[in-house]
Amino acid sequence: MTAPAGRLSPPRASALALATLALVMSACATSPYQRAGNADDVAGAVARAHPPVATTRSLAFLVLGGASGPRLAEYDLAASRVVWTQPTDVTTRVEVGTTVIVHGDKGTTPNGEMVGRDLATGAALWRHAFPSAEHLYGYAIDGDTLFVVTRSSTTQSKQLGILAAYDGRTGVLRWQATLPSARVAGPAARGGLVAVPLESQYVLLFDGATGLELGQVLSTEEAATFVRALPEGMFYGSRGLFLLGRDTARGSRHAPGYLSAQLPAFVRPTYFYDLYHPEQSEYSALDRNRLLWRVVVDAGHPQFRDGLAFVHDYRFFFAFDAASAALRWAYVSPDDAVGSADTGRSILFVTASGEIGALDPITGARTYQAQLPGEVVRGASFDAEGFAPPAGAGASTPPDLLGALTAIIADPDQRFPALKLFAIEELGRQPGREVTAKLIEILRTEKTAPLALQKAGEMLVARRDAGALDLLTAALRAHADYCEKRSAPPVEVLARAIGALGPLGRAVAPDLDAHLRLPETSPAAAAEIARALVQIGAGESVPALRDFLTMYRADAVYERDPTALVAAAEALLKLGGSSDRQLLLFLAEEPHTAAGLRAHLSRALGETATAAKE
Amino acid sequence: MVATGGVARAAASEAEGAPRATRKNKPAAKGASSAAPSMPAARLETLRLALVGADDAAAVEAAGALGESGTPSAAEPLCEVLAAGAAPDRLQAVLDALGKLGAAHALPADQTVLEALTLYSGHRAIDVRRRAVKALGAVNDPRATPPLLERLGDAVPEVRAAAAEALAARHESKASRRMFALLAMGDAGVAGPLATLATPDMIPRIAELTGTIDDAVIADALGDYVKRADVPDKLRVDVLRTLGNLSGAVATTALVEYIASVPAKEDRASKKEAQKLLDQRGTSQ
Repeated sequence: MTAPAGRLSPPRASALALATLALVMSACATSPYQRAGNADDVAGAVARAHPPVATTRSLAFLVLGGASGPRLAEYDLAASRVVWTQPTDVTTRVEVGTTVIVHGDKGTTPNGEMVGRDLATGAALWRHAFPSAEHLYGYAIDGDTLFVVTRSSTTQSKQLGILAAYDGRTGVLRWQATLPSARVAGPAARGGLVAVPLESQYVLLFDGATGLELGQVLSTEEAATFVRALPEGMFYGSRGLFLLGRDTARGSRHAPGYLSAQLPAFVRPTYFYDLYHPEQSEYSALDRNRLLWRVVVDAGHPQFRDGLAFVHDYRFFFAFDAASAALRWAYVSPDDAVGSADTGRSILFVTASGEIGALDPITGARTYQAQLPGEVVRGASFDAEGFAPPAGAGASTPPDLLGALTAIIADPDQRFPALKLFAIEELGRQPGREVTAKLIEILRTEKTAPLALQKAGEMLVARRDAGALDLLTAALRAHADYCEKRSAPPVEVLARAIGALGPLGRAVAPDLDAHLRLPETSPAAAAEIARALVQIGAGESVPALRDFLTMYRADAVYERDPTALVAAAEALLKLGGSSDRQLLLFLAEEPHTAAGLRAHLSRALGETATAAKE
Repeated sequence: MVATGGVARAAASEAEGAPRATRKNKPAAKGASSAAPSMPAARLETLRLALVGADDAAAVEAAGALGESGTPSAAEPLCEVLAAGAAPDRLQAVLDALGKLGAAHALPADQTVLEALTLYSGHRAIDVRRRAVKALGAVNDPRATPPLLERLGDAVPEVRAAAAEALAARHESKASRRMFALLAMGDAGVAGPLATLATPDMIPRIAELTGTIDDAVIADALGDYVKRADVPDKLRVDVLRTLGNLSGAVATTALVEYIASVPAKEDRASKKEAQKLLDQRGTSQ
């Protein structure tokens, strides 16, 4: 690690000592993880950690691109101004200390370099270029002490995992420790305690001041792919959260310190970056699609703050009840948010076009808005714990859930098919005629994807909205008309929706009948109409059913698949009288009638013969 | 346009074995020419039996014979087939036969015929639908108009064209708005029928479509319009000039056909204009 003047680099003697230590360890017959899962060790390590000092800073670190070249800017949210901008091609995320920040930079070497900067001015304090034998896995800052995990190749076949502590302002090495495995992940540090995931199932705990190992977590039920330091505690996990402590020393999901949110299917339930993958420490698409969460801890029991978990999905933000997955609010940004953070009192985000925003976690209302005109933002990190925007800084009313869902569904962006299905499903769960109208509109929109059509149809049928019968009727009456450039209504789904209403839907029978006589009505739609007529008890639809049956009974299309004819015959049998039975008998006996219908009628007429006589 | 199930009720009657005598020797119904030829009852019955029999070829032949007969009483057995339903080939032969009866002014405008043809004008098979539309156009009853207007909105060009021709033949002026809408979409099938129904105020609107649809479609419409006897010659001259400005062989053909349509001895300004425009086209080419 070198200061700008090229002061320090990792001492050669240390490397030698490390290699020697590694040899000693490999020769040792005892497992380095003998104390893994020891609750006393872990509890003791946590107890030694002191709570972090709260700051009142509200800073965003913006990775800028565009015509002015790659830069890093510090933005003061409270003052709504750029504090400094420095030319640099940022790779890995900005970590913020008390007076220093650290980030990765492309540099000139194959493995890039790490840069320490003064928080107040952005001036570079030191740089460390990684040689080809040294790979950065991650870093964390606690106070102004920097902890770095690397994997070094001492020989072609031998690799070492190393945890090193540096003075964040000078880049001077304070201590370093060889980890028991080269399968390492990025660290987290909090209040003098450093945590490093290892071998996917261990988290090793170190004293930040000395490098002394304090304890080992053994995650027995799910991989420990991350460690994360927050003011409320140190966490590890992957598909759930373990609050580091005595009861999570063995990583059981049954432990009181374990927490996971109920989330809808479209959400990727990963609670933090996978720190075993160095590429995930760079600003990337992962920053645009992630879970945001904070917890409150009561007597060692973590709970999601306000009972909510947040999803940032590119342009969209959602708040979910963590216990039920119920959607609380949705916010739609006009542009992709490239970075976001839950600071406890706000959901902060920065968009690619330079909008900086804050949302109220409870309502989703925008509480802050600022703009960096003409900038292209590639990524963002925040140091704004507890940031409360000043009143009137771009505040808005809470987003209308219906409007937000509608906007998601209507969005021409094709990147989010699963999200659109979710939005349709959520829309369908909302009450009101306008929702039924919206679902019908989705079904009528030609550009709607097939899966979205299916989902909208399911929701329309499931909501059984008898109060919107007039909307269903109007939709049915809008027959296809080439002259008027109008396509056929979604008859199949509408019929199912009307059928689901039972007798309440009977008034719509004539409009269903009309579709039995239209050329654009598909056999599948005709079958649904016939079933719906039975469900609503439409005895007045008998003539239409008779016409349909006679018109198509000998049609080649129905010879191949008589489903619609069978449905119409069943409906006629149930809704009609004796003369209709005679028509069905005629159809059953007439040799030109589709074989499938004849077979069905022979059976059905036989089965109902006694009842008919009675 | 909603049939009331009467078509299928007739089939049920058939199934019930309703006495045929009730269907025999009915007087010519409204709409059929009173001077139309009649057919011996025995011959009619023979053809009727063939029509509903198992032999498809014989049924098609019988339908043809009934259509050629030009007698209004031939419509009844044909409509019985529609009421009971049949395979598409037989349906098409029956509808062709009804169309022929219509062309011979021998198609009764009674409820059964109207309902059957209206129903089949909504059949899924294009060839069935087109034939039903054509036959429906020949029914001399205003109740035939709404289903024909509806078929102007059919998704299939051939069906739209059949509806347009039928409506034009019936001089249904209310069809012109929808026909113009179709022409504006470049639907060639309505060009001729629209020319039959177009009023003078519609001609500039047709001309204004130049550049938005194929010139040949506009030339078709204007070429047919200019040949109408009721068009003032001054207007003809304007229309011919518009035609002269259109590109392509269809416009040239329209000018040639107009000149040919004017009696040789008749001295019209429009004829001279057409000749002049034709000469200019020849020079420019």
